[in-house]
Amino acid sequence: MIWIKENDVAAVTENDLDVRRRLRSATWRQRTNLFIFLGPAIVLIFLLYVVPVIVDIFISFTDMGRSLAINEFTTKQYEKVFAGDKRLPQVIGLTFVYVFGTLAVFNVTFGLVLAILTTAIPKTSGIFFRGVWLLPRMSPSVLYIFLWIWVIDPSEFGLLNQILTNLFGVVKPVDLMTNAPVMLIIFSNGFIGASMGMIIFTSAIRSIPEHLFHAARVDGAGGLAIVRHVTLPALRWPISFITIYQTLSLTVSFEYILLLTKGGPFFDTTVYALYIYGRAFENGQYAYGAALALFLIVIGVALALLGWKFFDMKKLLQVPRIEVQ
Amino acid sequence: MARIEFDRIRKTWGDVVAVDALTLTIDDGEFVSLLGPSGCGKSTTLLMLAGIYAPTEGNLRFDGQVVNDVEARDRNVGIVFQSYALYPHMSVRENILFPLRFKKVAESEARRRVEEVAKLVHVDELMGRRPGQLSGGQQQRVALARALVKEPQLLLLDEPLSNLDATLRMTMRAEIKALQAKLGVTTILVTHDQIEATTMADRIVCMRAGRIEQVGTPDDLYLRPTSLFVAGFIGAPPINLLPGEAADGKLVINGFALTCEGSVAGDVTLGIRPESVYFADAGIRATVDQIEPMGRETLYRVNCPLGSITVLEGGSTFHRRIGDVAMLRFDLGDTLVFDRRTERLVKGAGAQLSD
Amino acid sequence: MEVTFGALRDQIQKPWDRLAARARWMRRAKLAAMYGFLIAVSAPVLLPYFWMVTVAFSSKTGTVDTLILWRAMAILLPFVFGCWIWSTIGTTARQMFFGFAAITAVAVAAFVILVLPDLHLGNFIFIGERNFGDIVRETRTGSKKGEVSGGIDFPSVWLAFANSLYLAGGQTIIVAVIASLAGYYLSRFEFAGRAAMLRSLLVLHAFPVLTLIVPLFLIMNFVGLLDQLLGVMLVLVGFELPFAIFIMKGFFDAVPWEIEMSALTDGASRRQTFVRVVLPQVTNGLIAISVFSFIRGWEEYIFVFTFLIDNVNWTMSLYMFFVRDDILGIDFGLVSAVGVFYLAPSLVLYLVAQKYLAQMTIGGVKG
Repeated sequence: MIWIKENDVAAVTENDLDVRRRLRSATWRQRTNLFIFLGPAIVLIFLLYVVPVIVDIFISFTDMGRSLAINEFTTKQYEKVFAGDKRLPQVIGLTFVYVFGTLAVFNVTFGLVLAILTTAIPKTSGIFFRGVWLLPRMSPSVLYIFLWIWVIDPSEFGLLNQILTNLFGVVKPVDLMTNAPVMLIIFSNGFIGASMGMIIFTSAIRSIPEHLFHAARVDGAGGLAIVRHVTLPALRWPISFITIYQTLSLTVSFEYILLLTKGGPFFDTTVYALYIYGRAFENGQYAYGAALALFLIVIGVALALLGWKFFDMKKLLQVPRIEVQ
Repeated sequence: MARIEFDRIRKTWGDVVAVDALTLTIDDGEFVSLLGPSGCGKSTTLLMLAGIYAPTEGNLRFDGQVVNDVEARDRNVGIVFQSYALYPHMSVRENILFPLRFKKVAESEARRRVEEVAKLVHVDELMGRRPGQLSGGQQQRVALARALVKEPQLLLLDEPLSNLDATLRMTMRAEIKALQAKLGVTTILVTHDQIEATTMADRIVCMRAGRIEQVGTPDDLYLRPTSLFVAGFIGAPPINLLPGEAADGKLVINGFALTCEGSVAGDVTLGIRPESVYFADAGIRATVDQIEPMGRETLYRVNCPLGSITVLEGGSTFHRRIGDVAMLRFDLGDTLVFDRRTERLVKGAGAQLSD
Repeated sequence: MEVTFGALRDQIQKPWDRLAARARWMRRAKLAAMYGFLIAVSAPVLLPYFWMVTVAFSSKTGTVDTLILWRAMAILLPFVFGCWIWSTIGTTARQMFFGFAAITAVAVAAFVILVLPDLHLGNFIFIGERNFGDIVRETRTGSKKGEVSGGIDFPSVWLAFANSLYLAGGQTIIVAVIASLAGYYLSRFEFAGRAAMLRSLLVLHAFPVLTLIVPLFLIMNFVGLLDQLLGVMLVLVGFELPFAIFIMKGFFDAVPWEIEMSALTDGASRRQTFVRVVLPQVTNGLIAISVFSFIRGWEEYIFVFTFLIDNVNWTMSLYMFFVRDDILGIDFGLVSAVGVFYLAPSLVLYLVAQKYLAQMTIGGVKG
């Protein structure tokens, strides 16, 4: 947008050429500014978001396999998705169990518990415990899973077995990987998931006015009553936000599962996202993987749009106040 | 519960001393005001009464028994906060009902009480609304109702009127005072507004920097302030304070000599209230500097040899204009003399004009 | 109207000292229960890290040296219990401080006497020795030199370190530059489609990036960037960008307009204003997104694993992965040592980032 002061116009009407030159250079600057500032971002985002989606749709309609060659265009990948793949229903079922199990037990519930408890004890201790629970999220994924693998090692050297045999006198070492793999992935992802809820809920609890707690205490409320009537009502929005956001996150991520169980034993812990990965990169069925991925993309975007309903949009769209280019 | 005793109460937050050496007794049914500027520790004291804070040192006694450790909910205290602190997600009815949940009251009985109290403070028309839908004054009444519904033995008010506009403030002042008289509940009011304190309370506790400056009836504090601070804090418009030196029966301010009692000596401050200075035919020569018409009265700021003085004159018509010369007089019995260093009252009636 | 005051009041005739005593007891019990619960659930989270560090510095025979471990635990447990009990008993801040100091002193003394002499750096052999894999196999499994086969050919840890630095560093620089430019423009300029772009950035931020791994792999292969750190770097840049742009826009929004207006009246063009006046104001934001980008790049595993093949291109995450994969059954000490080496920079970075975490708000819900 070009904005020329009245004085400018008055001073400049003498020389029309001059005006036109100024106008042109302002427009020119406006366009180049756009390129310089926004250009790189737009280009990269286009290349790394839009193009892959298009490619994905494209590939899903081919028969690309291990050889990476395209021989024909076909819808047989989708036919496979809807009718031909016997593993798929199990994978989808497991994904539901995993997502909602982790969400309900750890991300939301445990996050709440941690937030409420760490704000009820003295501040420094609260910070310490929150720091401990942030450790899994702060650790590189490879390291965190290394620790888990060590803990559940079925031999006597596994840390869990060490504790069981030495402290509790259990004779036979346990093998969680074989006997309780789903619980394993829920717990390992849950430890990480709890910390995000914990942070956001803690922040929300801190913003409740102190006087509300005082009033409740004088009114006669004990600890649990205060949580029920003062703390939780203030957390309605954050809880909804975390639920949506973490549902999205859990549905599409598979890094920790890949590292920990590789989806096994057999397909017992293969969630949908990991299934895509396996089919594409281990079996070489790239086209099929692309088709499966497309569904995940759609679900992911839908959840993302839902989640942003809980955000304050006005603050972000603050209007600029300088109009000169 | 008959008496509340503060016995050398001290409250510190780390290095900060909020309240120090607080010793005070409050009788059953009294209406006491804790008055002072912000940061003087009055709200802290109130919250110690409520049981939200525990004293660092000293003993708080109800009926002679130490209650330092007793929890807030066991004390049967009602409190109204400056921000009202209504539960935002509950309706007015639920807000008022809340304290009764924790007492052994039958459901129907509880509802009856809620309706009664609501009528008492005139919020019975608003029962279904949420706090967000109420005006400041309405929220305050709801907070009051919530505090009263449990029939507290102690009612605490933390600057309840400061968020209301001027007319509403006057109405609520009268209402709260009437309510207290009718119910006979011991009430402690915290405020920085000395008009609130003097109009509502039976006794005023004037506090500064965590300590009690003076305790007394409003009259005591107005007529017989024991320190410069109290004299300056009570009374609007504020008292004129003029520094000077006294010796041998003479008090010299800015070179101008007044007669005073022989026992007064040293560096002193003379206090004289604007309403005690009047214009006369003879006296100290002064020029009118500023005029502030205040409706029922007029406030003049004049320049005279003693310094710049405010004079309060009754009546809305004022006969002087800026620049006019006038003569001031004041009476012996109306002046206060304070020791300049200790800021304590030296003579209740100190100086007079020497003619 | 009649108000029957007194009926409820009469209910309250409990003696004050009994109430006070009960309150004191309840307070301690509640605090003890809360601490107890928190300790109980936090211990499983913290213990593996503790073990890893202990084993890394103490393991001699390659197996989990239980003796040292349990000795260390014998110091840790009383320490924790002592802290727990003291925190519920102690009342004033001063008491707490001295109590904790005393408990810590005892623990440190016990540590120095019982554990310190047994600590050594022998497990950090991988720092100097590239073929530690073979060496370790010989010593632990007793196979003769030259007989070993099937082990992974590890690159030097410093090569992996350098690769990680290159990846994370490069990504950080690119993200910082591009996000600053875009954030500034979005914050300060009006143009058609501004609202739309902001909204789409919002969606992109939550976009499930992992779902695009299949097409991205194919694209990278097609373009020839597969098995190139640069390829992974670009992907990571792309995925950090929406978030970084948002943060930077937030910081730019906070710069007062008056500063820019002054600069413009002083004669600077908008670009000059940006570089000389506005940019210096948002250094906090730059540092924030740089730290977070770097951490992300340092920890990245999936894309690195999928896109990189030749071990010359390994980053620390891959190095850690293969060390664990190959050597965990044989020498726990060595793997722990690598773990400590890999974890340390992350932790340091996170502590640095803590300062900036507090300053970042994304719209209505603070993170």
